[in-house]
Amino acid sequence: MTNATNQPGAGDIEPQDGLVSELRRDGDLIMTGAAGYVDDLPLGHVAHAAILRSPHPHARIVAIDVEKVKAARNVLAVLTGDDLVGMVNPLPHLFDPKIFGLPTAEFYALATEKVRWVGEPVAAVAAETLADAERALDLIDVVYEEIPFVTDAVEAMARGAPKVFDHWEDNVLAMFPFEEGDVDAAIAASTHVIKDVISIQRFQAAPMECRGYVGDWTRGGKITIHASTQQPHQVRTKLSVTLGVTEANIRVVQPRVGGSFGLKFHGYQEESLVCLLSRLAGRPVKWLETRAESLLIGAREFRHEFRVGFEPNGRINGVHNRSIGNIGCLSTWGGWSMVYPNGMSFPGPYAIKNYKMESYGVVTNKAPWSGARGYGKESATLVIERIVDLVAKKIGMDAIDVRRVNFIASDQFPYWTRAKHLDSGDYQGALDQVVELSGYHEWRRVQRDRPADGPLLGVGVAFDLTPEGADASSLIRGHDTTTVRVSPNGAVSVLTGVTSSGTGNETSIAALVAREFGVHPSTVSVFQGDTDISPYGFGSFSGRSLVAGGGAGVLAAREIKDKLRTAASVLLEVEPGDVVFSDGQVRSAANPSRAMDFALLCEQIYSTSYVNPGLLEPQLEATCTYRPGNVTMVPDEHGRISPYPCFPYSAHVAVVEIDRETGYPRVIDYSCVHDSGTVISPKLVDSQLNGAIVMGIGGALYESQPFDDKGHPEALTFKQYLLPRATDLPTIRLGTQVTPSPFTLFGAKGAGESGVGGALASVAIAVNDALEPVGVTVHQLPLTPSRILDALLSSDVAR
Amino acid sequence: MTHQTPAPVSTVSVTVNGTRRTFVCEDRTLLVYAIRDNLDLKGTRVGCMNGDCGACTIKLDGQAVKSCLLLAASADGAEIVTLEGIAPPGQLSPLQKAMWEEDAFQCGFCVAGALFAAQELLDTHDDPDEEDIRKALIGNLCRCTGYEYMVEAVKSVARARRQGGTCDSSVD
Ligand code: FES
Ligand code: FES
Repeated sequence: MTNATNQPGAGDIEPQDGLVSELRRDGDLIMTGAAGYVDDLPLGHVAHAAILRSPHPHARIVAIDVEKVKAARNVLAVLTGDDLVGMVNPLPHLFDPKIFGLPTAEFYALATEKVRWVGEPVAAVAAETLADAERALDLIDVVYEEIPFVTDAVEAMARGAPKVFDHWEDNVLAMFPFEEGDVDAAIAASTHVIKDVISIQRFQAAPMECRGYVGDWTRGGKITIHASTQQPHQVRTKLSVTLGVTEANIRVVQPRVGGSFGLKFHGYQEESLVCLLSRLAGRPVKWLETRAESLLIGAREFRHEFRVGFEPNGRINGVHNRSIGNIGCLSTWGGWSMVYPNGMSFPGPYAIKNYKMESYGVVTNKAPWSGARGYGKESATLVIERIVDLVAKKIGMDAIDVRRVNFIASDQFPYWTRAKHLDSGDYQGALDQVVELSGYHEWRRVQRDRPADGPLLGVGVAFDLTPEGADASSLIRGHDTTTVRVSPNGAVSVLTGVTSSGTGNETSIAALVAREFGVHPSTVSVFQGDTDISPYGFGSFSGRSLVAGGGAGVLAAREIKDKLRTAASVLLEVEPGDVVFSDGQVRSAANPSRAMDFALLCEQIYSTSYVNPGLLEPQLEATCTYRPGNVTMVPDEHGRISPYPCFPYSAHVAVVEIDRETGYPRVIDYSCVHDSGTVISPKLVDSQLNGAIVMGIGGALYESQPFDDKGHPEALTFKQYLLPRATDLPTIRLGTQVTPSPFTLFGAKGAGESGVGGALASVAIAVNDALEPVGVTVHQLPLTPSRILDALLSSDVAR
Repeated sequence: MTHQTPAPVSTVSVTVNGTRRTFVCEDRTLLVYAIRDNLDLKGTRVGCMNGDCGACTIKLDGQAVKSCLLLAASADGAEIVTLEGIAPPGQLSPLQKAMWEEDAFQCGFCVAGALFAAQELLDTHDDPDEEDIRKALIGNLCRCTGYEYMVEAVKSVARARRQGGTCDSSVD
């Protein structure tokens, strides 16, 4: 096994062209209903699970009586928290706060003693049918003693607030500080100072397929779990800890996944519950999350309080931001750690010498966070870009020009901040390109010339710097591992530890490996997501699958290619350096008539190596691990680290129209230019970017999970939790800029997340730009018609 | 043992993807579950069970409908087309081809909704424009694509039809 670290960019892929020209894999299966998601699989005589959840935000469990359930028709098994204690271990955390020296807590898969959020699993039932299981839940009697609760983060920080965890000092889980220079002095010395707030609501990933797990614990002691997850290997490792079963006896299979966007990280209670219920029921047990259950999962709720000091020429001297993240209850899901990238991303693409970012994670009695595309970076983008826009408005300068003054220049890379070593870029170039693409100046003219009583029109610009490829102290790592195997007939198998949640990275990985061997990608098969088949890997997150898994695949292919080259030089009687691989052939570059089929070469190596001196390496299989460069976890002499290797970015222009009568905002034009480094499959990257932008638009205008004053979440269906629909959106214009990363194998930086923050920010800025003539602002997302209307009605100008 | 009366059942006959099928299900069974479980057609999917997402869309007696909102028993005697039956086995309709070529999906979980809704538009409009297409897709949620390339795919089918006059409708 090769362990290639910090390998500089190989740079032999033309960054702009992309490699993939054929159709994405399995499109025919998807188009005809044969895709095979977790609920579609024939997995034997499956029983169905349902979970009884807490109806209270905070209560002591006095007693649970399951006797009636045990006697109920068609019920096969029932579990409570008390059953689990002693039977299994507590669930390991995805990110245990204690590794950062923070307070923590221990959780079983079902609540013991106390419930801390509405929806917390209290008991689980397996029955013949889902209807049987759901009916059985009604027969469970739980006596709760309600205790005071808190759902607001600022209230939770106040002295005397109800404590979510009795053994903690208070409700503050974490405060991650990121600081350089002397921000107070810089702001004090500034000509202008602005103080303001902007708040982002609780909204989530909402993939179209909810989570689902089918556990099968056989009498022989082997467990197989089919899981709609991003991280099959980590599900296995953690199940092994919880259940006390060796990993070798657990197989986790990730079938096709119907979207994830961070929601399907590991650490969920149901992963082990289906296994335990299966053991009791003696049958495979399936649990499928309902939409209402899925919408419990939180993310992103931050309040940003900021101060900025700047000069009349637009130069920002110092920024101070205090972010308060309402992370809901701590749990074994890792989403709370979004608080870190929210802070670490500061101060974005700008060369601001003095800044201080304090990123708080505060626990409350709401459901916990899990991952959500952007992972806190979108929240940082929102506040940074809002700050830039306010600076521009104050000095009457175009926000484009304020960015120009403050951007890190293209000749300053690589560029250090407290917790980032920025790889490469041309930020000004991307902004110029999107200004052009969007017709920005034309929109400004339209805005100036519009009739005074017409709809309000706003233009918003935003720049989204998106750290990618996270390498953290946990089973979230930046590297990954791929095996490449070439068979005697020349067929290539790629077995990789990275997974796809529906993005199509298998198509790109196949193209990368095929290119090494000069064979058609159709001869390359990619296997992912089965712990019995793939090397140990970390799955999919942080836009890293292609960089890490694809990179490892290229390295493994190159190792095999060296053997093939040696053998070909013997068989073709040419120098090894003269051997080229192309069009399914291996030939001499100098004398192309000396050639043989790739398949024949493989066959010769497998079958005749002992009679052919020079073909002494008969096995065409290699496993390599690739870790992108540019990750520094040991602080340098200035105390700086860089847990992310790659920094793709995108520049956005949104145009929003607001109806004066109803306050209804509408995005009427949208443009974005992105730099994801070298692109392998341009169409797949662009499609992900479209999805990210629309998720950001959703967050800016529609999506929200509000809580009522009893601590209950209010959005239980897509009739309350509003996702953007096709009619809510304009055509999105995309442009590409490519500055390859000097720190990754082929210059890719990662794709998939950049865009959420840019859209959140550009739309929020555009709405406020539209409201400027009436002299009001809105700063609590989502910017709903009612919030905008309230602002309009409060305006003297409007009246 | 708690004694509950077993739920009443019905025998339902439908023509699905051209084949006559008869099955027995509880009266309360929703059509989406009957299609998935009794007929074993997994292309009809559950995204919300609330009529919001369109992942469960089928064609019922010529109309695109959300099968999570209907009782299976109410479909007795109906003619149903599911995602599996849009084109003959081994083939793709022009819209399916265009969706693939345009990368109009990522995870693919939502595609039944877009395929049936957009085909209905193409069957009833000679020359739909972007607004028509977006309106046709209003009942379907897709979280992956932002709908952008879905709209493109529908446009490209309409364009090919205008230019070539060949692919005038779905194959079914
Ligand atoms: S499952 Fe029927 S509309 Fe969503
Ligand atoms: S392709 Fe994933 S939801 Fe539409």
